[in-house]
Amino acid sequence: MDYELTAGQKKLQQDIAAFCVEEIVPWAKKLDESPRKEGCNLVKKNLKKLAQAGFLAAGLEGDKIDLVEHYIAGEEIAKACASTYISARASTFMCGGILKLFGTLEQKKRFLPALVKAEMIGAIAYTEAEAGADLASISTTASKKGDIWVLNGVKDLVANSPIADVFIVLAYTEEEAGTKGGMSLFVVEKNAKGLSIGEPIETMGLRGVPIAAVKLENCEAKEIVGGEPGKGYEQMERILKMGTVGIVSFCVGVGTSCMEKATQHAKAKKSFGKPIGLYQGVGFKLADMFTYNDLSRMLGLRAAWAMNEGENDADILGSCAKLFAGESATKIANLAMQVFAGHGYIKGTDIERLYRDAKFGEICEGSSEIQRTIIAKNELDKFV
Amino acid sequence: MDFTLTDEQKMFRDTVYRYGKEEIAPLCEESDLKGEFSFEIWKKLADMGLLGLPLPEELGGSGADVVTCCLAGEALGHAGVDGGSLLAWGAHTYLCASNIFSFGTEEQKKEYIPRLASGEWIGCMGLTEPGSGSDAASMRTTAVKKGDKYILNGSKTFITNAPVADVIVVFATVDRAKKHKGITAFIVKKGTPGFSTGQPFHKMGCKCSTTSEVFFEDCEVPEENLLGGEGDGWMIALSGVEWDRSTLISPFVGASIYGLDLCAKYANDRYQFNRPIREFQGVQRRIADMKVFIEAARLAVYRVATSKDNGQMLNPLQAAVSKVYAGDVGFEMSSEAVQIFGGYGFMHEYPVERNFRDAKLASIGGGTSDIMRMIVSRIMLMQ
Repeated sequence: MDYELTAGQKKLQQDIAAFCVEEIVPWAKKLDESPRKEGCNLVKKNLKKLAQAGFLAAGLEGDKIDLVEHYIAGEEIAKACASTYISARASTFMCGGILKLFGTLEQKKRFLPALVKAEMIGAIAYTEAEAGADLASISTTASKKGDIWVLNGVKDLVANSPIADVFIVLAYTEEEAGTKGGMSLFVVEKNAKGLSIGEPIETMGLRGVPIAAVKLENCEAKEIVGGEPGKGYEQMERILKMGTVGIVSFCVGVGTSCMEKATQHAKAKKSFGKPIGLYQGVGFKLADMFTYNDLSRMLGLRAAWAMNEGENDADILGSCAKLFAGESATKIANLAMQVFAGHGYIKGTDIERLYRDAKFGEICEGSSEIQRTIIAKNELDKFV
Repeated sequence: MDFTLTDEQKMFRDTVYRYGKEEIAPLCEESDLKGEFSFEIWKKLADMGLLGLPLPEELGGSGADVVTCCLAGEALGHAGVDGGSLLAWGAHTYLCASNIFSFGTEEQKKEYIPRLASGEWIGCMGLTEPGSGSDAASMRTTAVKKGDKYILNGSKTFITNAPVADVIVVFATVDRAKKHKGITAFIVKKGTPGFSTGQPFHKMGCKCSTTSEVFFEDCEVPEENLLGGEGDGWMIALSGVEWDRSTLISPFVGASIYGLDLCAKYANDRYQFNRPIREFQGVQRRIADMKVFIEAARLAVYRVATSKDNGQMLNPLQAAVSKVYAGDVGFEMSSEAVQIFGGYGFMHEYPVERNFRDAKLASIGGGTSDIMRMIVSRIMLMQ
């Protein structure tokens, strides 16, 4: 057994961290506060900078997706700016990852290099107002007309949609077949006829991630991911299972940022003549933040490694990691807020932003409730 | 990064698990109810070579690395062997025998290790005193050099295995003014005049281990029984931390796996409102949380073990994370297991009840959870 990162992985970690301190951290507050349009431009700039430094490609360069590398990069970017990471991830990992895993050679060539260079921004549209975890209940349909597909439906909460050049869209191609062969993922470019993006949605946290509904009205799509219809559900499931790793990296990035800021505050701020960190009421909170963040990171890397190696229980480890890290991130942000007390409750402070950002981990891509259902079933079925 | 166990390690875990389940676990309930140390269980542990697990083969041990030791603890806990028996094993093997092996002279090793490894002798370690727990440096037991002997005076408490022990590694101060720099370790044999043990305590859990006070009244210890040099005791005591945070925690993690297995079975079999209770999300939540706990705790425990195997210095942050998480959340999970069993879980006949009582020790023994948080927060504030 060996828990250590390789020299190359450590270097990647350090390089991204150093880059982000200079190029991303200074923009985090501005990105959070900017009106939507301005925010769109800012986040695009951040993606561009990361791409130019080569960091958007982390984990995506080899024949297979390297989730350990993906994790390492994710944690550092999220620590610098959570919104920038989630936007980058939606583009390169969710949209790009789907294409890398399942796209035709031609699709890969056309989109992947452009996505990791941020010449194109990607988005993935699967959630609907009535279909979150229960993907089978989507109502978006696609019907074949000659050699094109005509899509109809409304996708909700699509990250990056206001700035995206290419969308991956989940739709029923054969509704009666249900999730078993009835769904397909389409590649839809932004200028496609019948595609329209709604007004950007105001979110509580991650305000730098442009997000809106996507409307498909007789929208014309030419291609299916991988070329063949009927595989959309499995493909979507796969990317979501692998996606737990990136969400953990997001949680740990936010958690680390909270922890570091709270520790600095606890050292600097004095009460009754001594730094508040020396009071156990505060010091023990710091210890809990460290403990949960450290365990989240270990679980995330463990799951990433297991998926890379193709271990049997890799997906369950991913669920465990996502559940743990999601709940830990909100716990840690809450503890950090308590350490800052009134000084963190002020709009425009880092802690106030991180507190709002942190909540995403518990909600997104398989809420904590869904993860528990998956994990419990897996354990219970061992004894049926 | 590599999280795979070697085939040898996997096979060993499986063997120990099966052995524990078939040979040892059936003996535990009776012993727990009586609240007595079981020589029968001790014999079983000895027969499997577990009592000298990390000790070298030439001295009668099994030469296992730390990860393998953790696997054994986990496997036995998973098999349903109670926390007390595993605590007795741990105190003997890791706190007594390993310390003698690591810091003893050749003569000391030759005299003690083979007999401890075989289980012929039972070992224990005495650090805690009635007035000094976490603040061990303030101990009052003294050792005064007189000719070629040390005269020990004082008392120790909460000493696992003391009532049955043949050998104790005990810490005393040669100069209280020197605080931790005066602390010195000695090996004391049963029967040494002036050495005695108290009545076994009645404990809440881990009842198959027996625990008592230890008294030294002008107890004369020959100088060749000094373990390490004068003033080395503090370093020796601290070196035990690595065992405390890995091998001694692994049985508790194993017990959680046992608890999860029991709960998963029960939730499938128990029907209420015409359906198995596994269908209720309240039950599912507990099952899922147990699984997540087990994965996280295992990672933390094996990280400490792995770094020791790889010859790295103990990282006090990582060690504390292992202890505080496995201790605090492990106890919570043992409570959730009782909850799944409802009224049945409150009965002695159901092992989740015993697990619950045993689990509490993990957040107390070998450095309380509060001490772990103190360590972590101090390091954070220094950085």
